[in-house]
Amino acid sequence: MSLASSIRTIAVWEMNRSMTTMGRGVLPLAAGLLVLLVLVTAFAAESGIHMQDGIYRIGIDDPDVARIVDADTRFTVETVSGPALWNNRFAYDIVVIRGEVYAADTGKGRAALTALKRDYEGYVSRIAAGEPDLFAGYPLWIDLEYVKSEIDFLATQSGQQIGAPANARAPSVPSGPVEAVTLPPSTIPVHEEDLRQHLAGMEKTNPLSRYTGIVSSGSATDGLRTPSELSPPLPYDALILVFVFIFPLYFTSQFFMMSVMNERVGRAGEALLAAPVRPAAIIVGKAIPYFAIMLLVSAAITFFIGAPLTILLPLIPVILFFLSSALIIGMAARSFKELSFVSIFFSTLATSYLFFPTVFANTHVVSLISPLTLVILELQGEGFTAAGYVYSTALFFATSAVLFYAGTINFREERLFSEKSLTSRLMDFVAGAISRDRPHFSLFLLAAFTIPFVFMAQMMLLVLFFNIPMPLSLVLLTVSAAFIEEVAKSVGLYAVAGERPGFLTPKNLLVGAAAIGFGFLAGEKLLLFATLSQITESIFGSVLFLSLQVLWMPLLLHIAGVLITGTFLLAGGKRAYVPGLVVASVVHSLYNLHFLLGGLV
Amino acid sequence: MNARHIGIVAKKELLGLSAEKTIVFAILLQVFIAMFSSFLMVGLTAMYDPEALEGYSTATYGVGYAGADSALIDEFEKRDDLILHRMDLSPALAALRDRKIAAVVYVPDTPPDAEGPVAITLYLVQNDLQSSVINVKIKEVLQGYERELREVRADRMTAFPVGLNFPDAGDAESFYEFVYGLLIPLLVLLPAIVSAALIIDLITEEYQRQTLDTLLSTPITFTEMVAGKIAACFAIVPVQAGAWILLLELNGIAVANAVPILLHVSAAGLFLILLGAAIALHYRERTSAQFVFSTGLVVVFLLAMAIPYNPLNIVVRLAVGTAGPVHWLILLLVSGATALLAFAVAAYGRRVGKNSPTAVR
Repeated sequence: MSLASSIRTIAVWEMNRSMTTMGRGVLPLAAGLLVLLVLVTAFAAESGIHMQDGIYRIGIDDPDVARIVDADTRFTVETVSGPALWNNRFAYDIVVIRGEVYAADTGKGRAALTALKRDYEGYVSRIAAGEPDLFAGYPLWIDLEYVKSEIDFLATQSGQQIGAPANARAPSVPSGPVEAVTLPPSTIPVHEEDLRQHLAGMEKTNPLSRYTGIVSSGSATDGLRTPSELSPPLPYDALILVFVFIFPLYFTSQFFMMSVMNERVGRAGEALLAAPVRPAAIIVGKAIPYFAIMLLVSAAITFFIGAPLTILLPLIPVILFFLSSALIIGMAARSFKELSFVSIFFSTLATSYLFFPTVFANTHVVSLISPLTLVILELQGEGFTAAGYVYSTALFFATSAVLFYAGTINFREERLFSEKSLTSRLMDFVAGAISRDRPHFSLFLLAAFTIPFVFMAQMMLLVLFFNIPMPLSLVLLTVSAAFIEEVAKSVGLYAVAGERPGFLTPKNLLVGAAAIGFGFLAGEKLLLFATLSQITESIFGSVLFLSLQVLWMPLLLHIAGVLITGTFLLAGGKRAYVPGLVVASVVHSLYNLHFLLGGLV
Repeated sequence: MNARHIGIVAKKELLGLSAEKTIVFAILLQVFIAMFSSFLMVGLTAMYDPEALEGYSTATYGVGYAGADSALIDEFEKRDDLILHRMDLSPALAALRDRKIAAVVYVPDTPPDAEGPVAITLYLVQNDLQSSVINVKIKEVLQGYERELREVRADRMTAFPVGLNFPDAGDAESFYEFVYGLLIPLLVLLPAIVSAALIIDLITEEYQRQTLDTLLSTPITFTEMVAGKIAACFAIVPVQAGAWILLLELNGIAVANAVPILLHVSAAGLFLILLGAAIALHYRERTSAQFVFSTGLVVVFLLAMAIPYNPLNIVVRLAVGTAGPVHWLILLLVSGATALLAFAVAAYGRRVGKNSPTAVR
């Protein structure tokens, strides 16, 4: 059988099988649950969400005032006469006596006061909206315009926080060229009736509308609003996108993960392994249906929110990444509960990697490391360049490829059906990638292949430490970046030492360390030239990618790091691995700090 | 049913949990979330109540003012955190793009008592944290200006609202509702959901790995096996929820009525675990069972939240100390529903155990 036809056979077989295991009992019930979900949603929309009912106690002496908070279920209202209320005032969070509001001097009292203030504003607005002369009730209308501005990556260098203004008191003069703009008109281009309807509509919209409004916008009033409608823009649009796009993808990848796991349960996949097809064909064939479903789901969502289909392009590497990690988790988990916990843990990590950088969308180049940023840019109608695409998706493509490769070479009986613990299985996977005939060449390649993972982890740290004040963030970044690199470099040696105890001799250690050092440097260079030129220009970049300037120094450093860890392994066995790592990281950090300080002074 | 047998099965599952170090992953997960917690806290609060952001900023901001003179200038001068700069619109926008100023307002020369509205244009930087802060500050200024304009045009109005005098309470407290109304109920109910997912893994695994035969060849019966697993999953619910409450206390968030909260969480947790067990016994296969359960969970939660005095609301009321004795009634109702479900699951388990305990569907 040719590769293509065996892939097709397995893909069709996978489709049929998952349809039959899922199909019989699940589909009717799933359909029923879906109907129930629609009914319950309608019920919840009708009755409201009763999560915070009755958290505040309020005492009011006037039934007319009590009517203001009638609709707000957060308040338990008691209408009592003034003197009795005053004597008993400590039993309430707020008391209102003859139009004077008194709040308890606690966090709860202040929170209740805020809630009451908002209710009162809404009440005043309702009265004003009933005016026959609309512009007497609502004399002020605001047209909100947004201006794009990207800040310089170097802004954090001086220890300055993002977002804090420069000297606000000094008269400001723009530094760049001034673009002439036409003055906005003094009359509003919207009909009075439309505004009235808009005000009536504002009353009814539920709090969710501001979130659904992100993906589908457009209203008759052209963005005109009254001062009390002026709600701040959400700086976290991206979180909504995570739920809209990423969650269905993650959910579907679970089915693939389970399908891989099912092959291992009770050695069910033995027949498949015995078939005359290559492991690569099995994996690709099994993955293709899920890939297609995930793409279809994304396309359906894109179509539903009316976004351009180019949004799918940055989602493809995300889909591949989810599938490849689902493959590895499905192959490595020992039991169902381990599968559950590991996959939840992984999804949290992946989601934060996707989500946190996008907070800086529009403001910062660092945001581009997440493909979701491209989705946001596309939704804003700005689009992205080919270079931007490569920049933010290269790591995802590279890590998926490496994970798929690791899955393929380990898709064998002795690996799939062993009963070892999670970490030792993962070590087996790594050791499986090291050839017996040419171990040093394998170590070289392995070191090069760890680079995308190292970069991903370091990117995560970059985002994490971004908001910490300057000297501390730099030190933290230096130390943790060094630690990650040392782990990545020594993992091959550790795995091979575990699997082939006789391998780790002083001679092999020397040659292996050199191979790893070269491999690491080669991988680093390759990926850097492909993608990360923008970040390397900043000071954070120079911490992570210090080794760009001179070649032989970093090479020596990489080799020395592996030698330190390797020597600990050689002398003390597995238990000495962690101390070895720590020593190697300290040496590595000192080197980085020396160069960094030398460069700064 | 033999209580000792149930205990043996429960102990075996709890030991399995710690031996596989899956619990380590759960802890790692929580530590990881804690690492991002300040970020999440700011982020989630901002989503929940964007106006809370104002409290984060003590800085002063420059605002560009272009167009005609108006009473708005006096409104701005009342505040010491906003500095007004009079300038033309074009350089003002360029300065905004450079982030030299935080916002620009353009005011047309409409007189305050004109027939039509005063239409102001407000320029902000897009999708930026600072814009959210400045937005809240300027909103207050504009609301002041709106009040002034309303007074000018008061003779054209027909109805007047009841007047309320609010004290000047200083900083608004916006974390309160987020922490007590959302975070606490979610945190204490999270262990219940985790345990319900866990019971599905434990039961389906026995089927799919075909280990049931071995287990049933011992004196332990099928129903005892299921009961033992349920007991193990149930035991870790109050422990985890209690740990969350302790952690919150350590962070200075006082939770009132911890014991009644734990009782409510345990009852609701047992309900979800029984639901998971019933689904797992029916499907005997993890993919289908987890799929049906997670969809069903959304339905159950949405339904519960739409009903007044639901358990989540009761946890909130208990945590802030406004529950009153009615919560015992709710606890009784939830426990009753759980007991009914337990009888049903027990009957179903006995039937499965009698007919085809080990058959995989």
